[in-house]
Amino acid sequence: MRKGLSGVLALLLLTVLISACSGGNNAASPPASGGSASASQPAASGQPKDGGNLIIAVGADPVILNPNYAGDRVSLTIDQALYAPLFQVNNGKKTFYLADSLTPSADNLTYTLKLKSGLTWHDGQPLTADDVVFTIDKILDEKQNSMFRESLIIGGKPVQAVKVDDTTVDFKLPQVSPAFEATLVQLTPIPKHVFENEANIEKSTKNNAPVGSGPFKFKEYKSGEYVTLERFDNYFGGKPHLDSITYRIAKDTNAANLALQNGEINVKYLDPQDVATIQATNNFDILPYSEGRLAYLLFNEDSDTGVLGKKEVRQAISYALSRDELIQTTYTSSEYADPAKSFVTPDGLFHTNDVTSYDNDVAKAKELLDAAGVKNLKLRFIVSSGNKAQEAVSLYVQQKLKAVGITVELKSMDASAYGQKFVDLKSKDFELALAGYIMGYDPDAYRILFASGSNSNYSRYSNKEVDALFEQGAGEADEAKRGEAYKKLQEAIASDAVVYPIAYTKTIVAVDKRYGGVDEAVLKPVVIFEDPSKLYLK
Amino acid sequence: MRQLIVRRLLQAIPMLFVVSVVCFGMIKLAPGDPVLSFVTPNMHAEDIERIRHNLGLDQPAYVQYLLWLKECLSGNLGYSLVNHQPVLDQIVDRLPATVGLMGISIALAVLLAIPLGMIAGANRNRWIDKLINLIAYIGISVPLFWLAILFIYLFAIKLHWLPSMGMRTIGKESALDVVKHGILPCAVLTIGFLASYVRYIRSGTIGQFKEEYVQIQYAFGSKKSTVLFRHVMKHVLLPIITLLGMSMGDLVTGALVTETVFSWPGIGSLGMTAVRGMDYPVIMGITLFSAVLLILGNLAADILYGVADPRIKSGEVSS
Repeated sequence: MRKGLSGVLALLLLTVLISACSGGNNAASPPASGGSASASQPAASGQPKDGGNLIIAVGADPVILNPNYAGDRVSLTIDQALYAPLFQVNNGKKTFYLADSLTPSADNLTYTLKLKSGLTWHDGQPLTADDVVFTIDKILDEKQNSMFRESLIIGGKPVQAVKVDDTTVDFKLPQVSPAFEATLVQLTPIPKHVFENEANIEKSTKNNAPVGSGPFKFKEYKSGEYVTLERFDNYFGGKPHLDSITYRIAKDTNAANLALQNGEINVKYLDPQDVATIQATNNFDILPYSEGRLAYLLFNEDSDTGVLGKKEVRQAISYALSRDELIQTTYTSSEYADPAKSFVTPDGLFHTNDVTSYDNDVAKAKELLDAAGVKNLKLRFIVSSGNKAQEAVSLYVQQKLKAVGITVELKSMDASAYGQKFVDLKSKDFELALAGYIMGYDPDAYRILFASGSNSNYSRYSNKEVDALFEQGAGEADEAKRGEAYKKLQEAIASDAVVYPIAYTKTIVAVDKRYGGVDEAVLKPVVIFEDPSKLYLK
Repeated sequence: MRQLIVRRLLQAIPMLFVVSVVCFGMIKLAPGDPVLSFVTPNMHAEDIERIRHNLGLDQPAYVQYLLWLKECLSGNLGYSLVNHQPVLDQIVDRLPATVGLMGISIALAVLLAIPLGMIAGANRNRWIDKLINLIAYIGISVPLFWLAILFIYLFAIKLHWLPSMGMRTIGKESALDVVKHGILPCAVLTIGFLASYVRYIRSGTIGQFKEEYVQIQYAFGSKKSTVLFRHVMKHVLLPIITLLGMSMGDLVTGALVTETVFSWPGIGSLGMTAVRGMDYPVIMGITLFSAVLLILGNLAADILYGVADPRIKSGEVSS
């Protein structure tokens, strides 16, 4: 019986939207020069020493340690140390890793990628243009089941990768697409010599002993226990300081927090409510950093009452709420979340918070409702039971909307039922929900959320002007003109009150004070450290 | 005897079939969608559909079941939807951790439950019975995950006697290390099992004390302890065989919650992850595996029963 009960309890599907993958960046610190920054360079915060092991807590087993397939937070985190990316983008600035440069042609239809010379895989084989071309071809191969395939299809045609010489690859685009760079950030070369004879790379047993190109190489994986990586001496960025990094699988948050206090874990994500306990030990640096995520109130315009299809009603609801109160309610402190006005997160290109913002104004809310001729409005708010943030926000919204004469009915449901209802564009039995997304730094990524008929258009919003602006932004190579389009777009979506942006949330991570080099390693959404080779034991 | 075994094994086939249908049905009726566990908002609809198709999840549920059944009959439990590893390999990989933990916990619980239950039963309604009963009630009522957290706090954080999580110190391969890591989860599970076993044995003992042979022993002037340990014990121990038979399922499914809290790499935590991700091949694999063990366990219990008590062997009591 114990089994059955806990099985039901276990149906706590992590809301897909929260554990979303992909790029973005942070505002915590400037990136280190990615090039050949040598290991012997002393960091400002002290003399880095070599040696030692770092233990990072992860919430689950990695799904697959192959970057062509990894979509879960744990695999992405481990892959970041195991496989070097081509380049990364922080605050619009590129840091080059495997790549030396990326240059678009005059007509913006060809991007030339130059690799560093003398790169090697962990097994000593050279890493060349062949590996890059192989990786792109395998992603495009429908039989290989990579989830990145569609991002390499532009206007119905695939991007072509062509080897020029051993360190040069040309990417030929079917049409102009500045967002291609953001796609390339997500792609990481996999070794051709390992996978070329595998019929199905996803199911290949080679994934159990991955051969990467990052600062740490695979040592061992004990299912349900840990993954250990050890230093790769020939890392192009210089020999890493730490001897090894272990990712300890700790599925229970409370138990993992205890293990952190006990010194069995050195790095772990924290929830805001756990910060005080961990801080009290005085053994950890508590580091909140932007995760490029927007938390927002979703308006379902296509519910069976259709009432949120009216712009005035959405605006009235927005005026009835207060962002600051919402942040206080949900994140305990403004330290862990910044007020959000635009749908583009601050790390995104062309982000502006200078848009219509609906600051709390009850009189105006009532006025708008009267003007829309709406009386005795009833709304349904879906809540994933047990999700503290959603429960807190829903109660707050219920109370605030009551003040303007709107009744909110809370519909609490199992996490997986919630997840399914939320993403099903045909569900019509709710109007409100709390949601969040991480979309990466290129605003074209948001098209999927707001363009008419898109598959992640959870608001069921449709506006021809917005569609046109997205089209324009996607195909515009001129930076200034592109920026103009996305600025207009942010205002258009804000003035239509398509969503009520609440906050750009922060990830909080606790790092054992005995470790240094965190600034140089660059805190990064989803994967924690952009370049773990820079971490060291003090 | 041989007839009994053959008959019971044949009966097991429809039983396993029903178990698999019910299990599959429940997974499919539950809200949620396995594909959702790898969908991110910036994935394109075409990619999602392609993945759904490649996993065979776009077919009707009965087709999915039949395909699964066909594979299963040829000895292939299928591949995980999430990490694409063979289900059987994953179960076998996790089996030693679970069998070790559960086996020792169950054995300890039985060994402790026998004296405690018998003492309680023999001293019905006296203070010692009430005390043991109280402890048993607490054991049943306290949620194990809470007890686990309490133990970690006390023995790992405050006293620093034992590690709080995992089965091994990273990179260390020593039996002693595994034992040290196993003490806390084992203690929690033993308490969990002990509570129900004690109550079971206690009521058995009370029942036996009403039997005529006990009265006769008393009439012969035997001491209570002699009666209890020489005569009553034999009868009380018999049902424990059944109890153990029924625990065979637990032995391989492990304890979902306790394993998860202690990050014990057993089948319980594998199952927990599978349920979260609606990874039906893994859930089905674990369920079937434990159903088989449960059926075999019950069969073994019945056979042992016959060995231990000749009255049953001759009669029709077993079915």
